[in-house]
Amino acid sequence: MEATHAQDHGHGHPTGLMRWITTTNHKDIGTLYLWFAFIMLLAGGCLALLIRAELFQPGMQVVTPEFFNQLTTLHGLIMVFGAIMPAMVGFANWQVPMMIGAPDMAFPRMNNWSFWLLPVAAIMLVSSFFVPGGASAGGWTMYPPLFLQGGISNDMTIFAVHILGISSIMGAINIVTTILNMRAPGMTMMKMPLFVWTWLITAYLLIAVMPVLAGTVTMLLTDRHFGTNFFNAAGGGDPVMFQHIFWFFGHPEVYIMILPAFGIVSQVIPAFARKPLFGYASMVYATGSIAILSFIVWAHHMFTTGMPTSAQLFFMYATMLIAVPTGVKVFNWVATMWRGSMTFETPMLFAIGFVCLFTIGGFTGLVLAITPVDIQLQDTYYVVAHFHYVLVSGSLYAIFAGVYFWLPKWTGRMYDEKLGKLHFWLSTIFFNILFFPMHFLGLAGMPRRIPDYALQFADFNALATIGAFGFGLSQLILLVVVLKCIKSGAKAADHTWEGADSLEWTHLSSPPPYHSFVTPPVVK
Amino acid sequence: MEQAPRKTSFLQAARAVFWSFFGVRKRTDYDSDAVKLTLGQVIAAGLIGAALFVGVLLGVVYLVTHLAAK
Amino acid sequence: MADAQQQNSTVLKKLIIVTVLMFGFGFLLVPFYKKICEVTGISKDKIAVSNTQMDPARWVSIEFDANVGKNLPWKFEPLTAHLRVHPGEFKQVMYRVVNTTNRTMVGQAIPSYGPARAGSFFQKIECFCFTQQTLKPGEEKIMPVQFVVQNDLPKDVHTITLSYTFYEQVKADAS
Ligand code: HEM
Ligand SMILES: [Cu+2]
Repeated sequence: MEATHAQDHGHGHPTGLMRWITTTNHKDIGTLYLWFAFIMLLAGGCLALLIRAELFQPGMQVVTPEFFNQLTTLHGLIMVFGAIMPAMVGFANWQVPMMIGAPDMAFPRMNNWSFWLLPVAAIMLVSSFFVPGGASAGGWTMYPPLFLQGGISNDMTIFAVHILGISSIMGAINIVTTILNMRAPGMTMMKMPLFVWTWLITAYLLIAVMPVLAGTVTMLLTDRHFGTNFFNAAGGGDPVMFQHIFWFFGHPEVYIMILPAFGIVSQVIPAFARKPLFGYASMVYATGSIAILSFIVWAHHMFTTGMPTSAQLFFMYATMLIAVPTGVKVFNWVATMWRGSMTFETPMLFAIGFVCLFTIGGFTGLVLAITPVDIQLQDTYYVVAHFHYVLVSGSLYAIFAGVYFWLPKWTGRMYDEKLGKLHFWLSTIFFNILFFPMHFLGLAGMPRRIPDYALQFADFNALATIGAFGFGLSQLILLVVVLKCIKSGAKAADHTWEGADSLEWTHLSSPPPYHSFVTPPVVK
Repeated sequence: MEQAPRKTSFLQAARAVFWSFFGVRKRTDYDSDAVKLTLGQVIAAGLIGAALFVGVLLGVVYLVTHLAAK
Repeated sequence: MADAQQQNSTVLKKLIIVTVLMFGFGFLLVPFYKKICEVTGISKDKIAVSNTQMDPARWVSIEFDANVGKNLPWKFEPLTAHLRVHPGEFKQVMYRVVNTTNRTMVGQAIPSYGPARAGSFFQKIECFCFTQQTLKPGEEKIMPVQFVVQNDLPKDVHTITLSYTFYEQVKADAS
């Protein structure tokens, strides 16, 4: 730190709170993003626990049906836009400049803005619980006609989505520019770590679809207040069209949430298998093709809307084929581990957990892609199980893997390995207790987003609720680990994981100086 | 910056895109792609590839619904 | 350094253009979607339920008339004076009413038919005469009548006159 202050050309930094509000440093902003995501994870988690508390037994015990609908809606919105996406951007902020040997992001001031928009949107979302009529209650997908009815909270949700969209777009523009223009000499595109590649492609996806989402919710807003009839059937609009436009955004969005996760796992697994990533080139190409193909499968979310058979067949085939490059990635991770000299520190545990459990989610996705099957399973707990296997044991596990992996680099201190392992094992056991029974519930016909259910579903629901509280409480271990690491962790080596070979490990100290790579490193 | 965009066969771009849809590409091929292909070429080939992909799928759908109608 | 910033802002500009284009593309999906439905005929089987009740061989003339009661100084007129319809065909016409006084008044329109026996074959689906109308001083209202002339209208009726008369409703009367 001392050495770097000398490079600061003498001008001082604000300290305390002002440092964080005014910061344009990619490391500070990365930290802000990650803490914000963690707080949102806990907030969204509390909503989920209320949901599960109500579903512990049949009948109504804890909340009213109206409030239950608000809980499911806000849980989805907060987790998608408040937890997973900001966490991924947090990683990009910390890691992209260090991995490509850049001093900072391309537009530091814009970077500050894109973060500070997030709390504004979050406050708007959370406070909508307290306005007359309560929060939005039509599901995170905001389908009309429900979303055209309802109170002021729907407008708050629309504005929050606008703000979150602007924030994501600014973040994405920053990331693309940084990666394209600010690589160190010798850091050619094909030498970039896979995490950088996945984020480059994700950022392009964001720039392509976030504006479409913004347009869609703008149409909702004008339908609500300015007399347009895009989706209002009574005025000649078409509510099904909303679903088409929403999912045109929505399916690429799920890849926005998983591609950076692929990137993190592709950094972690080679480091702990002590082998280079198997099929680096395939991984890059597979990521690219997943991104392109993700634009032509959206209607697999709409098989029950009365599409003509030919359209159903098209989207069924397209969806099944897009699973091929995803499958190739799984094979590549397994091949990377094959005959590696593996050790199982916490990041590797989460990465392996990712590979195993994400694959289950991929398979249930394939099941849902079969149109006649999906017509049975649409809007049941089977779908809930599917997307939690890909999002929780997929994206979230990758985030955990990344946090444990880079925490020593970021803080300069080791985390408590015992506690980390405990966090992994408790999470994994309770995660499966929570979500695996949902497959059975869905197959037996239990619809999603209902506060009460028929008696025959009682046992699996009780089990799931137990899993939920176990899983939720286990996440507090992460908080303890991180705080303990920051406060009193043992000094971490600069090259903490000897199998890791990207620039932040080989060229920078732990913690890295506040301004790293002020003079760019020369790669090979 | 580092690679002067060199004129190259459209075939290589097409081949790169085909393999990428499958998700597999040999390291050596990839390295030569990276040297020979420009970003614009890959994007163009990617979009054409995606259009072809859609076309083939539509053809299959047509065949399936057509045969089923008999 | 200045060169690098130059490059960055070039990329920035390009990406902002893409963003704006994609925002527009979201709206473009609306006509695009409607066109696809039209071309492929997807929505036809839903919307084009033809009116099997209609008798296209037969025409009936409808004349619209408007009067006000003698204590009600309102202006009242049909926006369409005359219409030719098929029996069984669904139609809508508008009436305009203006309160020319400087006090708030309540009125109710009473329909009548010529010939009177046509009344039972003239089916009003929606009509401003179903409810009382309150008009503030100088207020103007455009009000709909939606109707169907029934198929079993006697063969010798070729013209129906629909006539409304507005009467003032005195408030707090015991009706
Ligand atoms: C192997 C690839 C995948 C396939 C074939 C697939 C297929 C599907 C299908 C067919 C549905 C619709 C189910 C229904 O509503 O009836 C669905 C829903 C969903 N998928 Fe996937 N999926 C895949 C991967 C993913 C990934 C990687 C993610 C996110 C990280 C994801 C997130 C979701 C979400 C959030 C929903 C539910 C949206 C909602 O209705 O609220 N999927 N998936
Ligand atoms: Cu999807």
